[in-house]
Amino acid sequence: MYATKQPSLRIKQADLKCKNGCGYFGNADWEGYCSKCYRNHMDKERQRKSNQSQHGDHSKATSFSKFEEKKRQQSDKKTKYFLPVFRKPSSLKETGRPEKYIDIRQMNPDADKLLAEFISAYGEWGEAVRKDFLKCVHSFTSKIIHELDFKSADELADIAQNYYNSYNNRLNNNTVYQNVTPDVRDKLLDFFERYSMVGLYTFLFCPPSTNDEDKDLSIQDRIRKLSWVNAHHLDCCISETSIEVRDLVYTAINDLLGMDSMKAPQEKLACVVRCCRSVVEVLQHCQGGPVSADEFLPALIFIVLKANPARLKSNMLYVTRFCYGARLMQGEAGYYFTNLCCAVSFIENLTAESLNMAQQEFEAYMSGEVTCVSAWESALVACEGMHQLCEHLSLLKGLSERMSAVKDDTQKLKDDMRKLKEEINDEVTSVLERTPLVIKPRKTIFPLTMEFLKSLPPLPEKPPIPDKGKEVEINQDVDTAPKFYQQNITLTQMGLSDNKPKLQLDITPCVNLPSASVVKPSLSTDFLSVPSPAADKSIESITPDDNSYLGLSKINYDIDFSDISAENSIIEDLGESRRSPTMSFTPDPFSPMGTGCPIMQSPLVPSAAEMPRVEVPPVRKNDFVLPFLEEIEKEDTKKETLLDKVEETPTICLPPPIKPTEYTGFSKQGSRIPSIPCNTGDVSSLNLQQSAGSSKDTN
Amino acid sequence: MASATNGGESYNFKVVLLGEGCVGKTSLVLRYVEDKFNSKHISTIQASFLNKKINLDGNRVNLAIWDTAGQEKFHALGPIYYRSSNGAVLVYDITDEDSFQKVKSWVKELRKMLGVDISLVIVGNKSDLEKDRHVTLEEAKEYAEKVKALHFQTSAKLNEGVEDMFLALTQKMLDDAKKKKAQENLLIGQNSQRTVTVVDDEAETTKRGCCGSN
Repeated sequence: MYATKQPSLRIKQADLKCKNGCGYFGNADWEGYCSKCYRNHMDKERQRKSNQSQHGDHSKATSFSKFEEKKRQQSDKKTKYFLPVFRKPSSLKETGRPEKYIDIRQMNPDADKLLAEFISAYGEWGEAVRKDFLKCVHSFTSKIIHELDFKSADELADIAQNYYNSYNNRLNNNTVYQNVTPDVRDKLLDFFERYSMVGLYTFLFCPPSTNDEDKDLSIQDRIRKLSWVNAHHLDCCISETSIEVRDLVYTAINDLLGMDSMKAPQEKLACVVRCCRSVVEVLQHCQGGPVSADEFLPALIFIVLKANPARLKSNMLYVTRFCYGARLMQGEAGYYFTNLCCAVSFIENLTAESLNMAQQEFEAYMSGEVTCVSAWESALVACEGMHQLCEHLSLLKGLSERMSAVKDDTQKLKDDMRKLKEEINDEVTSVLERTPLVIKPRKTIFPLTMEFLKSLPPLPEKPPIPDKGKEVEINQDVDTAPKFYQQNITLTQMGLSDNKPKLQLDITPCVNLPSASVVKPSLSTDFLSVPSPAADKSIESITPDDNSYLGLSKINYDIDFSDISAENSIIEDLGESRRSPTMSFTPDPFSPMGTGCPIMQSPLVPSAAEMPRVEVPPVRKNDFVLPFLEEIEKEDTKKETLLDKVEETPTICLPPPIKPTEYTGFSKQGSRIPSIPCNTGDVSSLNLQQSAGSSKDTN
Repeated sequence: MASATNGGESYNFKVVLLGEGCVGKTSLVLRYVEDKFNSKHISTIQASFLNKKINLDGNRVNLAIWDTAGQEKFHALGPIYYRSSNGAVLVYDITDEDSFQKVKSWVKELRKMLGVDISLVIVGNKSDLEKDRHVTLEEAKEYAEKVKALHFQTSAKLNEGVEDMFLALTQKMLDDAKKKKAQENLLIGQNSQRTVTVVDDEAETTKRGCCGSN
């Protein structure tokens, strides 16, 4: 498929070149020649043809062809575009209608649009009307195209006028149109003109056989030279200082300029009418009352001078030639068009006298020696400047408004951001206040502790304190549990109502209270003394942990905490360790959980509050650990609070530890954390459940 | 369809108003078309081109009245205005001798350019300013007769003779047109005055007069 298509799409470079081989590129429209060779070719062709066909009438023909040649030479540039058209009708004279029909269609890209318009507007009058209309249009356009080569523009205009007249007669007398109302007949006539002229525009507008173009250039030049003429010179009362008037003047100028873009004479006329109506409005604004021709004509002249429309003469001649004469000579459009003709004529013949000025002054203006220096003119300039100034000011105003809006929004955003920051800070602090520091290990240990406590009824609530007080060298392994217990108790004693004890408060009590009860100092000193003196074995076993910095123990925490699945094992370990106190090393993993808490708390004490603590300085020497500690301690506090909360209940009625009731923020986590170990126990069952659920779902 | 129900026909006549500036051309036409004098009361925003439909002897006539700029500097533009017009109203101010001289030059020009194809009416306006009259009625009438033109004295301010003047002109144009048509028989005139237009079918007044006021 692709292969078959490709060759047809490919054009060789040589195919694009001129057939004469001159090296330039050719064009299909020029029969494969380049522009220059084509012209030569056509000239030869024409010569040959005129010699052949006009043989009998030799003298006349040659003279005519010479005339044609001369004309072509004159307007060489234009001829190029018209050549294909000239050629076809003349060369295909015999083939007749079908070819011409195609021609007309081709050269009139608006034909379809016009036809659609025709059908929508006059379709109701029946197929016969439409057919007849199109027949007339085609005969008219064919006729014009036939004659195009041999008749002058004025003769063509006569032909056109005759066609209009005959179509008008046809409209009024032919049976096809007998049902059409006179109103519509008029419109049909207009449409006939429009339809034909839109198609013929290219050939009839500024035809190469005329010197319309020269006239255009001369009038344009003339108007340019007269650019200094102002309303005052023309005794015209246009006051350009008024914004409304100026806008209307611009509207009028625009309408006049729009004339050149229209194709049908009627449309051009309509532009003139619109322009003139604007002029009338201008005068209305300036003087009020009905506008008479005495005022209208100078104003129109002024507008024409200021507009300097393109191809003004060509347009006017085109309208005069090819607009239905009867239309042009009557009605508003006719009147205004006549006025335009007058204005142009006046401009062409303008003298010093007609402007009421001295010949010398006029010549000075015309030669450009003197430029407009009148107060009026400078006022005009100033006015225009003011106008621009106003526009710019309004633009600036709008910009500054938008700017301030942006500024406000930025400020608002800033405030919002600051507020948000504050809110977050407040929230964080309030959350921190609400959720005091909890030591993480407690949670993992807690179930054990509770179980342990339950399983070990001998441990009383208070006894540990004396216990501690009594014994410094108490077994560390055993010590942990009571210490936690004790801490819990102290915390609960501190007052459960105190829901928002500060970070340090949370911790300090743990350490503080015992110390107050003489037990803690020993304990703390015990820990502090760890690095320096060699304590009993059990302590030594811990020291490595401590010596390897608190941070390390901290890291252990994290691992322990995050690795919740290991909790069970830890508990088991703990249990084992409980049972076998000799295994001093085994508790190590959770020794940070247990013993680590006081140690870590110690740095907090000084950092957070001015609680005078004896143990502070020594621990503080681990400066670089502090950030770590603080960070992790915060987590710890959170966890601690959770545990504390959990702990509260056990002291009262000892419900299952993992039932946080108040702390929604951590309730989820808290409830989840212990539950996971349970799940991890029977992951398979969970999976099974899940799979069962999913299968159910799928089912 | 509606063109020949009562044997009458429709005519379109183009009438140009010529005359020096400030002789009252615009006032005259406004008085005729709007029947108002004071410009404050006139609804038309432009008085330079006005249409008037009248019914004359069963013929519907549409008068297109073209005002022209009267300033001397625009005099040369006259031919463009009066080209292919059927009638001309030449207005002078009875208090201004110069304006009458201007009328004379217009008449000369029109007769030279258009011959007898154009119906002329010479109008001495501002007849209410009788005390300041500088152009005598006799002189004007004499001249008008000489150039085969009608003559009227009017006062746009007092609404004297305005309608009569226009009616007389229309009658003359109608007669000329009919004469011309009879001569040319079915040949269509160069300006195709025969273009059939529709006139609103108001009640036909049998008497000679205007019925189509707006």
